Amino acid sequence: MASQARGLQNFISDLRNAKSKEEETKRVDKELANIRKQFTPKGGKVAEDGSNPALSSYQRKKYVWKLVYIHVLGYDVDFGHAEVMVLVRSNKYSEKHVGYTALSLLLRGDDPMVNTVLSTIRKDLTTPSTSEKKNSAPPDAGQSLALCSIANIIGLELIQALHSEVQQTLVAKSSTPNVKKKAALCLLRLVRTSPKVVAGREFAPQVAQLLQDRHLGVLTSAMSLLYGLASQIPDDYESLIPYVVHILGMLVLKKACAREYLYYRTPSPWLQIKLLKFLQLYPTSLVQTPKNGNGKETAADNAAHITQLTSIVSKILTETDVSDSINKSNADHAVLFEAVNLIVTWGSSGPDHLRDGAMKLLGKFISVREPNIRYLGLLTMAKLAQLEGSAESIKKHQATVLVSLKDADISVRRRALDLLFVMCDTDNAERIVDELVAHLVLADAAIREEMVLKIAILAEKYATDLRWYVDTILKLISISGDHVSDAIWHRVVQIVTNHPQGDLQAYTAATLLVAASPRRCHETAVRVAAYVLGEFGFLIAERPGMSGEEQFRILHQHWATSEYQTRAILTSTYAKLANLYEECRPLVAPVFARCKNSVDVEIQQRAAEYASMREAFSPEAVEDLLREMPPFEDNKQSALEQRLRDKEGDDSAAVVKAARPSAAQRERAAQSKAAARAVEEVQAQAKADDVGPIEDDPVSPMSDGSPGTNRPKDRTQKVGIPREVIPAMRKAFSNLCTSPSGVLFENAVLQVGVKQEYVGAQGRISVFFGNLSKKPLFHFRAIVEDVEHLKVQKQGTQGLLDEDENGGCTVAVRTQAKLLLLVEVTAPFDDAPAMRVVFETEEGELHEYPLRLPVVATCFMEPVTLEPAAFMQRWKSLEGQDRECQEVVKAPANAPTIDEEYMTRISRIVTEGLKFGRCQGCDPTPWTVSGAATFRTGAKDMNGNNINVGCLVRVEANPQAGAFRVTTRTLHPLCSKAVKNVALVSIKLSSSP
Amino acid sequence: MIRFFLLQNRQGKTRLSKWYVPPQSRGTHSVEAEKTRIEAEVHRFVTARDKKYTNFIEYNNYKLIYRRYAGLFFTIAVDVNDNELSYLETIHLFVELLDSYFSNVCELDIVFNFNKVYSILDEFMMAGEIEETSKREILDRVKDMEKME
Repeated sequence: MASQARGLQNFISDLRNAKSKEEETKRVDKELANIRKQFTPKGGKVAEDGSNPALSSYQRKKYVWKLVYIHVLGYDVDFGHAEVMVLVRSNKYSEKHVGYTALSLLLRGDDPMVNTVLSTIRKDLTTPSTSEKKNSAPPDAGQSLALCSIANIIGLELIQALHSEVQQTLVAKSSTPNVKKKAALCLLRLVRTSPKVVAGREFAPQVAQLLQDRHLGVLTSAMSLLYGLASQIPDDYESLIPYVVHILGMLVLKKACAREYLYYRTPSPWLQIKLLKFLQLYPTSLVQTPKNGNGKETAADNAAHITQLTSIVSKILTETDVSDSINKSNADHAVLFEAVNLIVTWGSSGPDHLRDGAMKLLGKFISVREPNIRYLGLLTMAKLAQLEGSAESIKKHQATVLVSLKDADISVRRRALDLLFVMCDTDNAERIVDELVAHLVLADAAIREEMVLKIAILAEKYATDLRWYVDTILKLISISGDHVSDAIWHRVVQIVTNHPQGDLQAYTAATLLVAASPRRCHETAVRVAAYVLGEFGFLIAERPGMSGEEQFRILHQHWATSEYQTRAILTSTYAKLANLYEECRPLVAPVFARCKNSVDVEIQQRAAEYASMREAFSPEAVEDLLREMPPFEDNKQSALEQRLRDKEGDDSAAVVKAARPSAAQRERAAQSKAAARAVEEVQAQAKADDVGPIEDDPVSPMSDGSPGTNRPKDRTQKVGIPREVIPAMRKAFSNLCTSPSGVLFENAVLQVGVKQEYVGAQGRISVFFGNLSKKPLFHFRAIVEDVEHLKVQKQGTQGLLDEDENGGCTVAVRTQAKLLLLVEVTAPFDDAPAMRVVFETEEGELHEYPLRLPVVATCFMEPVTLEPAAFMQRWKSLEGQDRECQEVVKAPANAPTIDEEYMTRISRIVTEGLKFGRCQGCDPTPWTVSGAATFRTGAKDMNGNNINVGCLVRVEANPQAGAFRVTTRTLHPLCSKAVKNVALVSIKLSSSP
Repeated sequence: MIRFFLLQNRQGKTRLSKWYVPPQSRGTHSVEAEKTRIEAEVHRFVTARDKKYTNFIEYNNYKLIYRRYAGLFFTIAVDVNDNELSYLETIHLFVELLDSYFSNVCELDIVFNFNKVYSILDEFMMAGEIEETSKREILDRVKDMEKME
């Protein structure tokens, strides 16, 4: 160990003894002044290069080292470059060494000073021996220094000037191993900054040459270079796979490794890892013959490599063990995890036993106490989870992962969160999301934002019932509102707006109104509530305690404590409320009046414009301005996914997962697409029978899925509804919508019959399940799903209503099970309740039929007789917006022509099927049928009266075109839609031969 | 690849810092000021952690792998897809190198021989990658070079 210059030692000592930062700074400043003085020659005789020629070699080295030290301590050093250059140019190694060290630390690539030493660097790089031979110094000392400093101070000019020299040095026969190592990494550094300096295909054979070097240090560096190059353009280096497999085989299978490269008895783990990382760039290497330029590789060679690689990975997997030495254990597990990563990249093309083995190991790792291994287990399992078919085995570990979610170490918690996110699917979404929400309460600030974002994405992705999604986001707001970004609540608005099906909009409006009711609630909740009530508040305005006026009062209590952005949203909502409800106007007007003087320009402008709108524009224009927003464009990528990507980078397992649409999302997308398509098809007067809108209609006879239930999916293969009975079923369902009894479903095994009668808001529906097969049916169950808009009382044959799948009743041959439903409607709706019929045959075959009960809105209609004038007045008042629904249906080609007799049938559909009162006076020609009815609900308003919805319908025929136009106008959009749907299916049914 | 290698004592004094990927300057902060800021932040993180925790910290868009030897904290910042355990052993190998070179290294050796420590590091890793993993190879090389001074 060579001794240090005394002056430098003293200086370091002084700084160490400094009692405070100030004292240290003072000492540094003093030293800087001294060095500056030393570098300025007395009498001003500066050498050509700006240095002081009077300095001795010892002094120059000492002062430059001091500068370096000062720089290392974090102080700015902006002089002395000339002296550094003198040292770099020196012929003495000791001076060169200091010079290059200082150069690397003090200069950056874009420093103009670099150019002045360029020729020196080049000379050192290309001249293998220094002039100083007497000390038996390594002949490559100068080369090494030059390479090292190029790697350290990279700049564009330096790359331009030197890359070819570096490349030549790397492959030169005369280069020592030491120079090769440094040249390889130096070239890697150049390639990272400018990928084009190396031409891959021509360079690959030269890398192959390097890979045959016996020196493991050279191999280690060469592999870093190769990995860097190949990650830029993998194809160019695919031909090198055999070399890499060969080296790996030597290390792993033969343990052939020089002693000094054994690290705690493991053959160079660093090299093994680099080799495995390189192989990960070729996910198909196990199934594909590598493209090889020279064609020497035969299929047999390739097969041999695949076998060898498989046995290498297999050996790593099975022979890694925990050892007493933590260093050995770490080194071995480092290699093991890299091998598992390789198995993950192979995916399903890799051998099953390796994948299973990896899964088993990871399952063990995520439950060990050792935190590093557990962390890596969680991390790697999340990668494995992306593979097809791995979901089930990973889900088994859910409980274990949840334990890590509560770990004291945030690094572990993050990984656990990530893995839960990745393993989440439709089956376990509710459980995982609930767990995460529960944990959010306890989670510290560092991880909350990440959790909130992930929960929001999961809830959206896997909601089989979007109401659950809305509830979840509300919970997030109430637990951790500060971390719910605008992007998250904007997404709620988007989704609710884009899903008019079902009662999502009304549900959201009602839920948010309740959420905003307390005096103290998070501002984000106020924002969503304000926006949603502005859009969909009218849907709930008839519910007790939710009138427009009450909506206003609940929102307005937050006004004083809200920020300007929130007030801006509130202002728009007030305008909409005032437009809809007379009684709100006097409440809103003073708010607007005050806001005209608001310091916030946006609010000032909104208030002024809304306040004067009524005078300035026609009522239609005002209506137009305050209309609900149109559906949002369905972006492929939600803003939330973008956020996740920004945070975690493109490669993270979570990002990949988030980008892949879930089954629930696909279904929702398909539904809206189908709805759009159905409208188009009808407009294009498509064939009525085959693919009419009924297929995608919410009143379809088949239940589309399973809102809000978790049923076990995986047990055995289930027999569903055979395709061929679907058209008949659809017809039977349509028929039952307007008739008191009939068959809902029939196949060779089972017949389901329905009898129904309705009085006002109440109905009594009997369902009969007849066994048509020759053997009894076991575990027979009928599951009627609860829906919000119906209060249902159920009675049935013993066991029929069991929830447990081992329960159920037995239906003997030629007998029936019976189900009696007493329903009361409480709110408008436009779909039909789902009923699943599940049973097992004697052979153990599991049948499951998702059906829908024909309990539709029109069942609860009560005919109303209206004078023509009254009808027209109401008709006009309900025009426009979503209170109106219209659709055209064309009769099939073989349908009877539309004549007066046909119109009587239509009239019967309206009066008997839809239960509307015919309004004769409104139909001057035989080609229209108008009717009125009241939709009765059992819900009470504040005065204790039942809430009812007035409904009007009009069917207009165009005999020439053979088409009908159905228009419905009601006080409630869902009613309009429901009546229209039933009318359409009935007309279609009547026209089919 | 390695973004930076840090050696700090418990009080937060940086004893060695090598940046292979310099940080972006932020606003009025120069690159150097940004380095100082990050080094201080890293110190805050590693000293606050319990012994029972992992040796890994997820930091910005990369990872910190750290290890404590008596009063010294060694920290390597690497890309997220780098092999954590191998860098944990990289730290250990470096400590073994210092230990052999100084025979039982202590903080003072590192303080007074900072330039030697840099020389050893330069033979051990370069351009953010491990260059050589044989202790003998590295130490022989360092000693050969010293003979020339």
